[in-house]
Amino acid sequence: MAKDGNEDEMVGYRQQPGKLPFAKPGSGGKNQFSRPTDQEMIPESQGGNLAQPWGSHRHDKLVSGQIIGKTTALVDGKWKVTGQAQYGDDIRLPGELIGRIIRSPHHYARVLSIDFSKALELPGVVAIATGADAENKFGVLPVTKDEHAMAVEKVRHVGDLVACVAAEDEATAREAERLIEVEYEILDSIHDMRDGLQDSENPIHDRGKYHIGDANVQKRVFQEFGDVDGIEENAIASHKQNWLFAGVNHAATEPHAVVANWDPSGRLTLYTPQQVPHYVHRALADVLEIPMHQINVYRTFVGGGFGGKSDPFPHEMCSAILARKSGRPVRITFDREEVYWINRGRHPSRIEMNLHADDQGRICGIETDALIDGGGFASFGHVTTYYNGVLHTAPYEIGAFHYTGARVWTNKPASGAMRGHGAVNSRCAVETGLDDLAEQLSVDPIDLRLANLLPPHSATITGFRVTSIGMRECLERVKQESGWDEKFRKMPLGKGIGIGCGFFISGSGLPIHWDPNKFPHATVHLKIDMDGGVTVHTGAADIGQGSDTVVAQSVAEVLGLPLDLIRIRSRESDTSPVDLGSYSSRVTFMNANAAISAAMQIRDELLDATAEITGAEREKLVIGDRRIFAKNDPAVGVSYLEALHKAQEDRGALVASGAYRTPPMGRTHKGAAAGLAPAYSFSAYVAEVSVDVETGQTKVDKVWAAHDCGKALNPLAVKGQIIGSCHMGMGQVLSEEMKYGRSGHLMNPDLLDYKIPSVHEMPEVFPIIVESNDPEGPFGAKEAGEGPLLPILPAVCNAVYDAIGVRTAELPITPDRLLRLIERKCKAEGVGDPLELPSPRLEHSELQAVLSKRATEHAKRDLDRRHNENREPYHNGALFGLDPTTPPDEVDEKWAVNVIPSQEYLADPRLAGSAWKHTERRHRGDD
Amino acid sequence: MRMPPFQLHTPTSLEEAILIAGELASNEQEFDWVAGGTDLLPNYKWHLNVKANVISLAKISEFTELNETHIGAMVRLQDLVESSATHPVLAKAADTVASIMVRRSGTVGGNICLDTRCYWFNQTEQWRESIDWCHKCDCGTEADCRVIPNQNTLCVATYQADLAPVLMCLGATIHLAGPNGARSMALSEFFQLDGMTRNVLQTGELVTHLTLPEDVAEWQGDYQKLRQRESWDFPEAGVAAVWKKNGSAKPSQLRVATTGLESIPMLHTKQVDECLDGWSGAESINELAESIRKAVKPVQNTWFSPSYRRKMVKVLTRRACAGLMEGSS
Repeated sequence: MAKDGNEDEMVGYRQQPGKLPFAKPGSGGKNQFSRPTDQEMIPESQGGNLAQPWGSHRHDKLVSGQIIGKTTALVDGKWKVTGQAQYGDDIRLPGELIGRIIRSPHHYARVLSIDFSKALELPGVVAIATGADAENKFGVLPVTKDEHAMAVEKVRHVGDLVACVAAEDEATAREAERLIEVEYEILDSIHDMRDGLQDSENPIHDRGKYHIGDANVQKRVFQEFGDVDGIEENAIASHKQNWLFAGVNHAATEPHAVVANWDPSGRLTLYTPQQVPHYVHRALADVLEIPMHQINVYRTFVGGGFGGKSDPFPHEMCSAILARKSGRPVRITFDREEVYWINRGRHPSRIEMNLHADDQGRICGIETDALIDGGGFASFGHVTTYYNGVLHTAPYEIGAFHYTGARVWTNKPASGAMRGHGAVNSRCAVETGLDDLAEQLSVDPIDLRLANLLPPHSATITGFRVTSIGMRECLERVKQESGWDEKFRKMPLGKGIGIGCGFFISGSGLPIHWDPNKFPHATVHLKIDMDGGVTVHTGAADIGQGSDTVVAQSVAEVLGLPLDLIRIRSRESDTSPVDLGSYSSRVTFMNANAAISAAMQIRDELLDATAEITGAEREKLVIGDRRIFAKNDPAVGVSYLEALHKAQEDRGALVASGAYRTPPMGRTHKGAAAGLAPAYSFSAYVAEVSVDVETGQTKVDKVWAAHDCGKALNPLAVKGQIIGSCHMGMGQVLSEEMKYGRSGHLMNPDLLDYKIPSVHEMPEVFPIIVESNDPEGPFGAKEAGEGPLLPILPAVCNAVYDAIGVRTAELPITPDRLLRLIERKCKAEGVGDPLELPSPRLEHSELQAVLSKRATEHAKRDLDRRHNENREPYHNGALFGLDPTTPPDEVDEKWAVNVIPSQEYLADPRLAGSAWKHTERRHRGDD
Repeated sequence: MRMPPFQLHTPTSLEEAILIAGELASNEQEFDWVAGGTDLLPNYKWHLNVKANVISLAKISEFTELNETHIGAMVRLQDLVESSATHPVLAKAADTVASIMVRRSGTVGGNICLDTRCYWFNQTEQWRESIDWCHKCDCGTEADCRVIPNQNTLCVATYQADLAPVLMCLGATIHLAGPNGARSMALSEFFQLDGMTRNVLQTGELVTHLTLPEDVAEWQGDYQKLRQRESWDFPEAGVAAVWKKNGSAKPSQLRVATTGLESIPMLHTKQVDECLDGWSGAESINELAESIRKAVKPVQNTWFSPSYRRKMVKVLTRRACAGLMEGSS
């Protein structure tokens, strides 16, 4: 047995002659002998040296100092960098056919007939399917199933699916496409989302008695909290802006691809790069009319998702249908253009943002009206409509919140969920509005924010339970590290700096498909046999964000094992426990919690076995690297394998199942569940930009990006998410846009004309990790995948204002748009040459001192609440003099919650609010 | 995305290339020349005016010669960027083309002969079917132009190559060869105002090389390019300016050319002459920039709006001429 320099590590350990002291070669990872415990990784609360400024955590006792908090390469990284990872299109099954989809050339039309007889005669064509082959509807949300595998009656946008063909090779399939003759009756299409609010002769979908008038309104929301009527009286400064946000696409590197195969036992296996395999599983069962147990959904490697692979897709149905018809595997791979036609990108939106501040510099009102363009199908839109409102009720304490939102169908590719789902656009509007309010009040915008933050362990105006909050630290860190005080409103024309904040859910509180009280959100199974390796079964979809790694890390940490002893099996629904999938930033929070719970069971068994072997007191035993020993006398202990084999004596392999379920939370009003999460992430970015005032070109030079992810389980992954989010958000704010031409066609469905920032556009990003140690998160962790995207948009917009004194209200800020605003500004200022424009400057008003004082007091308050476990409840409204311990609507009539608009409101509604003018058919007695 | 099938011909000499072209023409077979392929092949994948035969020039070694006054048609753009023999303004323009990977494949001849581009044309087959095709690739339907409807005589697709304006300013001569022998002309006379005809090349004729005048090193200048991103993007507008100063504040000679604005690049001789006639320093440059802005007529078929591109022509012209004012007050 090799002894390569590990002898030192054995000093002080008792050994029995003739026995191998520790793990056998090959069973203990790369190093045969266990390392001494790294005290720097053990929390103070467990007697180690790891500082815990935010207090101890319930998982502290599980920390073995292995891997949590250490920079860790993703466990599937080597598969990817060596080119051996199999993505959707890499799956090759013997005898495969190539599927192609016949798509609508019309925006909106009735399909009168489809004649595929000629195509079927073409040698090499094996099967053709149309809408008639699968008439059942599906959709990601059970309440809004409005999609078919292929058009059943109508096509709803250019690129909508009409039929599909499977042939021996791609060339034949493409030839067959041309031979299929489809007769259409063209209907009047709508492209402007505002038209969707009107009654229409042919609404794009008909929802029977639940249809809203005869309009194309798919979902409408009305919400009022707090002292809405008092806004006008209380406000001394008001901001109003009408925003127009272009739609953007995820533009993941991998286009959608799918392979379907029916095996001889009559079961279907669907290979697909999916973020949410379970919903595909359900939809397949519905569409194919077979029970779920007859389907195995196999998630391949996913070449980027960002929300764009989280719906069950019609092409997935098509491949299954064609495979069933032909009796052979069928592979369908998208061209880039088809990715844009399936879309599910961020909704094009018209948002009216009103913000009000009172004489104390408090945010006494937010009034938001959001009209969002859903395109042809519902997708996640029901939720998006809520998120555009409710996700900006924090991190600030507010006096009143009024939200009207509506989502309409139009004849465009469907919008859906995209990184920062529903929160990005309205967050941009809020944060730039705050910047404007600060300008009006002549105060520093960071101090304005610091003086209005909700404290930790509080409830928002909509009743969300917020636990850990690292917002204050994020703001303070970026302020300090960016040199804010030396730069803000002090730089020359064309140079600017701006702040933006974010707030995002860390896991959706309510599962889409079931009652959370009857079924867990996430489940993880563990199995350890005599080799000592741990097989982890999880249904969480690793889409590149590193969920496999996080689960492996959690198990490794609890069991004191090196990472290479952990093997993740997360691909197949046949072997993985049901998981809701990778959306709403839920995976780390829910899945790692489930993994910890499963690992704890195994840990208990190992400790029992060790106690039995050594006779040591069970309570004194701790787990180190592949060794279990007494804390007070480390020499008393056994190797991991010894303990494992002892535990296996009577029962063989150890197995455990752990699950996670959210605690009960939230209020009871209609829509109260939207935006509920077991924890929330916070972030603050400062961006520094250069603007060329003659061309309108904006370059982001530097970004200081602070994100509160609770605890960075893998700092490398968190930093990667922050930098990646900056890039993606920068695309939306500066150049990315799904451009629709005058005929309603998408003009840029390719990566040359859809302008993703290149490496030249990428600023230097300084990621700053803030760890607020969430009490319910795994080892204190919260999400880091979506929240970091939110602040970059407003930070850039605000920096542009700081640079040239121009406020934009249309994204992306392409040079031509910005130049128009610069020209307008020149006219208003009476300046001929834009180079002579004045730069914005700031002289503090008296309010500044008030805010600074309040911010200091609140910092103390927050620290108290953070550490005092017997803290009183804190409800939004305390800042306005209400009793913090009770929800304000229960004690103050003015703060009553409203979810139905009054007649008074309907007399003069805002844009999206006008959706409420229609009466739902069942309410007017129609069938 | 799938490449349509075609017959590839790989001649090793100019004579052989012309011979192959002649044979194909006499058999009434259509063909395209391919140099680096970075323009033609993506268009083929989109089924844009696909031909059954493609003649590759990659193996003709005489086309790769490069020195101060001679640039072979098959010189790769990146070689042009890196060569010490390249005029600095030309090197700068070449360095802005697409990305380094494209430049390592793309050639000078291919860049000069770049097909014109248009939002309604550079799309997949399915997409073009959804707009009922367009004039530039009508697939036998005699479709109208989608940019300016109700006229199907002129194609207004935009010429978006970077080298031409610089070469035109430097007084380049373009050399062609074909079945009827060789001919040469000033580069500015090579282009023909139509997005489909594009240039004077006859069937079977090809660009062999460009030559620059002996005094090319005496010219100074600049190239300015408008685009959304600093990589990949075609010029939404491009302005080249070169001059000779001979010690005095007023340039003894000045040439300005633009690209990315119409179906051909343009040398703005008349505007420049007026500028030099009434020369008054910086003010003259402003007037020149304004007169060039007025002279160009972009249409709505690229990323930026035509009005913005026109405004930027003025800014770019001023910036391209900024070096002209250096050292004079």
